[in-house]
Amino acid sequence: MFRSAIALATRNRKSIFAILLALSISGCAAPVVKQEAVFFPAPPNPPRIQYLMGISSSGDIEEKNDKFSLLTGKEDSQNRAINKPYGITTHQGKIYVCDIGVGNVVVIDPVKKSFEYLKGNYNIGKLKKPANIAVDPDGNLYVADALRKEIVVYNVKGEYIRAFGKADDMKPADVAVDGESVYVLDINKKNNEIKIFDLKSGTVTGRLGKRTQEENQGLAMPTNFALDDKGFIYATNAGTGSVTKYDKDGHLLLSFGDFGDVVGKFSRPKGIAVDHLGRIYVVDGGNQNVQIFSDKGRILTFFGDPGLMRGSLNLPVGIAVTRDNLEFYQKMAEPGFALEAVIMVTNQFGRDKISVYGLGQMKGRENEAGPDRPIPGQDPKPKQSVQPEPGK
Amino acid sequence: MKMLSFVSTLFTCLFIFGGAHRALADSCVTTTCHSAIAAFKKPHEPVKGGECSSCHTQRGKEHPVKGAKSFELAAKGAALCANCHAGMGAKKFQHAPVKEGDCVSCHKPHGSNERYLLEVGEDRTALCLNCHDPASFKEKYMHGPAAVGACNDCHEAHESSEKKLLKGSVREVCLKCHADFGAAMKESAFVHPPVRDSACTACHKPHGSPYSMFLNNKMPDVCTGCHKPIGVHMAKVKVPHKPLLDKAGCANCHSAHYSKAKMLLAADEMTVCLTCHGRDLGALKNVKKQIEGKKYLHGPLQQGKCSACHNPHGSDSFRMLPGPYPAELYAPYKEGAYDGCLKCHEKNLLRFADTTVYTGFRNGNRNLHFVHVASRKGRTCRLCHEPHASTGEKLISKEGSKFGDWKIPINFKITPTGGSCAPGCHREFKYDRNKPESYQ
Repeated sequence: MFRSAIALATRNRKSIFAILLALSISGCAAPVVKQEAVFFPAPPNPPRIQYLMGISSSGDIEEKNDKFSLLTGKEDSQNRAINKPYGITTHQGKIYVCDIGVGNVVVIDPVKKSFEYLKGNYNIGKLKKPANIAVDPDGNLYVADALRKEIVVYNVKGEYIRAFGKADDMKPADVAVDGESVYVLDINKKNNEIKIFDLKSGTVTGRLGKRTQEENQGLAMPTNFALDDKGFIYATNAGTGSVTKYDKDGHLLLSFGDFGDVVGKFSRPKGIAVDHLGRIYVVDGGNQNVQIFSDKGRILTFFGDPGLMRGSLNLPVGIAVTRDNLEFYQKMAEPGFALEAVIMVTNQFGRDKISVYGLGQMKGRENEAGPDRPIPGQDPKPKQSVQPEPGK
Repeated sequence: MKMLSFVSTLFTCLFIFGGAHRALADSCVTTTCHSAIAAFKKPHEPVKGGECSSCHTQRGKEHPVKGAKSFELAAKGAALCANCHAGMGAKKFQHAPVKEGDCVSCHKPHGSNERYLLEVGEDRTALCLNCHDPASFKEKYMHGPAAVGACNDCHEAHESSEKKLLKGSVREVCLKCHADFGAAMKESAFVHPPVRDSACTACHKPHGSPYSMFLNNKMPDVCTGCHKPIGVHMAKVKVPHKPLLDKAGCANCHSAHYSKAKMLLAADEMTVCLTCHGRDLGALKNVKKQIEGKKYLHGPLQQGKCSACHNPHGSDSFRMLPGPYPAELYAPYKEGAYDGCLKCHEKNLLRFADTTVYTGFRNGNRNLHFVHVASRKGRTCRLCHEPHASTGEKLISKEGSKFGDWKIPINFKITPTGGSCAPGCHREFKYDRNKPESYQ
């Protein structure tokens, strides 16, 4: 019996070598260990935000291929990375990320498992310092390029169409589209305002938020802004450590926040987003977290502070909140944790270039205090509330 | 011979002992001894049969003996009665005398002129109140059975498996008489939870009370005992709803037990409100007249919701509105002063002199609502808009607005981009959102 086995082995020497090699390779593979879910706020509080995943390269999104190289030990050499992301937005399930580090825009469709660079980012469409991006209902992209000092427009296929705003001497830092208007945050020191451009013609039709000697309710070193679904404008102000809300006519409706490193205050307020219920999400690059406020500016909760193995933010900047593809993200959530929205935050450093969180509620704990209820002991009133006198 | 002798002896004995028994009873109740016992219309059964010895046992040979007892009872307390009336004590709750074996505290042992060896007839008041507190039987409003002393219509005399010796659960006992109530309740869409789930005594005193319908407390306290937030609200409001202050209180609008309408209202909300506000009743405005035949109804009224604007339990604001609204005809806009209306309507409507967002009533960006209301002579909403219904759009009546005795004309017209007014207040002005009119 033994002899016959040796004889067989001698005849099939090549095959046996291959089997041993395969065994040795598989022996090297690390066992798959399910990682413990990361929730915010920490227990025993009822969980309201779960860290779902991190995205840093195409490898986190695309189907894993089998181009593992024994020689180099590297995975697919086609793996494309995000270098230094800044602005982020979502539209119909796709994620658009401005990679300010390399002057690029990354378009990610996690459901279709695609990870693409912006097709039209060359020649006349080449981006230099894309800070933020907006998408109109037709899928056209509007990129605020701080170095080109204009808004660069690409069609739904990612092909360059046009650019506008060069003549307006601006330094665009953020952009949003509402109906026939494109709102652009111009952080040129002379301006520090939000310009309203006509979407079709690219000409300025209005401006708002400028702080003057007469008007002290304007923007103060603004960094980012967002529109809610009613067209109200929410801006972060690094100069005052506050968030201000304006209507389309530029009337100040709400102001909250101050400098500080405690809950409800900001060190370097950056990206901002508003969800379907009017809750306001503010990224803080200094405190390195995201704070969620009610539509009246009352602090609800916060998440992402440094110190965790997974789920901490690292110099966070941009934020987007979406309800697209909830079922897709629901699969990543802990059983019983029902998602109501997904939050994406860009990090300039660290392992995760985009940290993806789910906002939701754990079954059976819905009635406990959470983001839409006051935190025990928290002052229910906003820290600072400005109600302009009529007529101003 | 011996046999004959035995039979005669037997007959003699039977005669002697049988005769002796009858003879004993006869000898107990005579014209001179124990004569009162013979006078009862309804004697105790053993008395009737002359069976005194079934209860009394002779102790001494002599009887009567002055100053001493020569008879004693065959057993003590209930044990004596239980010889014949067996079976007491099986149920959870016993009447205190039953428990103590003190049968004679209610029953006369030898007889009575009333049923059940009681001293009283169908009206048991006198008997029961010997022990029970009479206070609740002397109230202004009395429950019928309690008023006529029909205690045993609801209570068992001896024992029961229910508390208070009731003849069943409180609900069963009540619905035994109030059968029509039970039938109507079953057919009702909405039943007051205490009526559905609790004893009737949650709200009513079973015997009597100082309050109509022998309620546990006066209106509205009986209701606000459970509906505490409403009680607190009613107590502190500056503008109360007057029906709540009268004797019927909550029952002016709500059915206490069951209803076919939500909130246990006597009918649908608007019908209930128009019961009073739909007729010419003193200072009350006839709202029915205001809305009848009108093409344009205020949004909440289209759904029959008076309560969207008027809090039926009162409020701190004029006309029981849900928020502040000036009682004066002229009141310049201030933050919060118009919240009664702006609770639903755009809250920034009157805040800014110029807007492209909050109103279509503007000339270019000039907010004409602001012009009318935020100026020194702030005109309140009702100077132009009807609160309930109108014949024209935007709740502006074609025939004009009430201004003292004058129906002040407004002559409001709408165009696709603006409109015009030619009111009794100023000359005709047009306005246009896109191409602002000049008023120079």
